[in-house]
Amino acid sequence: MIGDAVERSLRSPQVLISVDELFSNAAGSRMPDVRPDLLTDEVARRVVAACPTSALKIDEDAGRTHLILNYGECTGCGRCIAAGGGTFRYAEKVTRCGVSKQALIRSWDIQGRAEVVQDEPALSQAAEQIRALVGRALNIRQVDAGSCNGCEAEIVALTNPYYDLERFGIHFVASPKHADMLLVTGPVTRNMAAALKNAYDAVPSPKLVVAVGACGCSGGIFGRSHAVVGPVDAVIPVDGYIPGCPPTPRMLLTGIVQVLRPFSLRW
Amino acid sequence: MTAILPNNQAGVSRALDLLSAENTRLVSIFGSTDDNHVRYVHYLIEVDGREYRMLSSPVTGPIPSATPIVPAAAWYERELHDQYGIECEGHPDPRPLLFHENWPENVHPMIDDASHVPWAKGQYHFLRVHGDGVCEVPVGPIHAGIIEPGHFRFSVVGDTVLHLELRHFYTHKGTEKLFENSAVMDGVMIAESVSGDNCFSHAVAYCQAIENVFAIPVPPRAQAIRLVGLELERMLAHIADVGALCGDVGFMVPAAYTARIKETLLQASARFFGTRFWRGISVPGGVTRDLSGAEAGEFGRIVTTAARDFAQMARLILHTSSVQNRFESTGILTAEIAKQLAVVGPAARASGIRLDVRRDHPSGRYRDVQVDVPQYKHGDVLARARIRIDETAISTQLINETLKELPAGSVLVPVPLSGSADALSAVESPRGELLYWVRIRDGKITRCHIKSPSFQNWPALPLAMPGNIIADFPLINKSFNLSYSGCDR
Ligand code: SF4
Ligand code: SF4
Repeated sequence: MIGDAVERSLRSPQVLISVDELFSNAAGSRMPDVRPDLLTDEVARRVVAACPTSALKIDEDAGRTHLILNYGECTGCGRCIAAGGGTFRYAEKVTRCGVSKQALIRSWDIQGRAEVVQDEPALSQAAEQIRALVGRALNIRQVDAGSCNGCEAEIVALTNPYYDLERFGIHFVASPKHADMLLVTGPVTRNMAAALKNAYDAVPSPKLVVAVGACGCSGGIFGRSHAVVGPVDAVIPVDGYIPGCPPTPRMLLTGIVQVLRPFSLRW
Repeated sequence: MTAILPNNQAGVSRALDLLSAENTRLVSIFGSTDDNHVRYVHYLIEVDGREYRMLSSPVTGPIPSATPIVPAAAWYERELHDQYGIECEGHPDPRPLLFHENWPENVHPMIDDASHVPWAKGQYHFLRVHGDGVCEVPVGPIHAGIIEPGHFRFSVVGDTVLHLELRHFYTHKGTEKLFENSAVMDGVMIAESVSGDNCFSHAVAYCQAIENVFAIPVPPRAQAIRLVGLELERMLAHIADVGALCGDVGFMVPAAYTARIKETLLQASARFFGTRFWRGISVPGGVTRDLSGAEAGEFGRIVTTAARDFAQMARLILHTSSVQNRFESTGILTAEIAKQLAVVGPAARASGIRLDVRRDHPSGRYRDVQVDVPQYKHGDVLARARIRIDETAISTQLINETLKELPAGSVLVPVPLSGSADALSAVESPRGELLYWVRIRDGKITRCHIKSPSFQNWPALPLAMPGNIIADFPLINKSFNLSYSGCDR
């Protein structure tokens, strides 16, 4: 019977997602995007009023009005898309993964109907880059510091035959002592703060920390709870942030690769 | 259905009397406060397997503990004390539950200001097992895999487990308190984040409770789409669990294959509903997405293919002798213990207790469909695996029947933004009976209690361990597959 199971699996068609395709779409991420050409003052006020988190804000500065979208706080509830007419839509691509906290924030000049452009992280020639960056061995210790387990469900999906993280030499390891990177989810609860700190201390230097999900990036909807300390960076230093609630496997992979980028020369 | 009883002792003793009757099952015990800051205790009890009855009583001082009569009350009463400072006299284990050593003993967040709680340094006492050759093995809170945190303290002799003590609530996020003062439309986002892998069950349970408060007629088409989502969530959970059980006995091919089947369903959800886990779909008043006839057909075909692939793989798994060897008679939860602890869901059904909210307390579309409830009696890992395999097939059938006859009409009706009432709603989540009780005052939530199947079932896991070897723990634990966050909230 073991033989039958193996045979059945071998006969089934290949489902591995190609590397280029991995970084090119955000299906199911629910993250919003803005069409600046349609953006008006009225739409901006409507979506800010509709947003149940503080992800959307209006910022008035020297006579210009900006619409601010902080992906780190966005839970992907979709209300801005419902309220924004055609101006808001689901993002086709979410490239702000594994970036700094500042780079999670986008802003649009409402009068100018244009995005205030920052450096957009480019993800071309991804296959070569991963190989160059990771050197076929990146060990990740995942730590749930209080998440709802939605983020875990997507991190687990990274190991399924569609994404197959191991093809890049990226492994999840059992001990922080074997890890190069901590992938931390959840708002850090009071009851997990000490364990998270201990896990961080146990990772040999140099080490990287990636905060995952709206909760990991900003505390998310739990930020104001008495039982929660705050986002991951309230307890340990963080090198990169992956937004989403939960981030899709594609966003997670994009983020992990992105965090490694500044280290490519040293490796 | 709800009776407010006149005074403290008499009210509580009526609840305890009812709980001692043969035909009742404890569903939940929780607290609340009224507008004058008077504390209440609520006993939610199922009578004759068909009716939820709630007995409520104001509390002025200590109340008698229900735990000596119904062991299933143990964690509820500890939570009641942590949240509301209500003493339960005669409780055999009054240690704090939600809060760890870092929390000052005299702060009860549901009645006290908990905005700036100082860090404390208390002590926690584990139960000690003494004797020649007894060793303690502490595991967690951080575990070896990509799993939620919790602590397990094993007392072993050699490989054999004598006793297991759980210490949980590492992911306690004060969620019930977060609901307070939220607008009814915002509460669903919190409900979706109680246990992320069952987010749709939580969303539907919450929405139905709100709809019960305002007597909102949810369109039949929305109810049908909710059924599809609930059954799909069950399929996802069961398929993944069976795969993970294979992974735990080193049978990696089905583990990878089931992960692949699960992913096809997640991708189909992303394609047709814009979300892999059905977040944001259920809202008070209905659902936010509709399906065209063609989409419904295509979605049904994908579900059918996934179910067929899984059924074939499941047959292979069950006929593999090394799997049988590891699953059979491992981690037995007896019917008697399951009953005393009021265990629900697949674990109950695998131990000969046939409970299913879809059949016993149907709501929405479930009122119009017949749900088969499988049952096994051995209570071992194999029985729990079989329940999941059988239920996956039943869910597939329910999805297909529903998609074939989607009622016409809209999928969403508006919800009044003011009004006051209390209401409850139950759904059968993949892990079992999930229940939301909400209190709305002037359109705002003033209390939301979540009875989560994981909170109910975790205490049963240690009682399935004694006599097993410690190396089988991951397998036994996985066969229950309880949510940490759903329990800890
Ligand atoms: S999708 Fe994000 S930005 Fe839009 S309303 Fe919801 S939380 Fe706010
Ligand atoms: S970001 Fe969303 S999915 Fe992740 S832990 Fe927080 S609530 Fe759950």
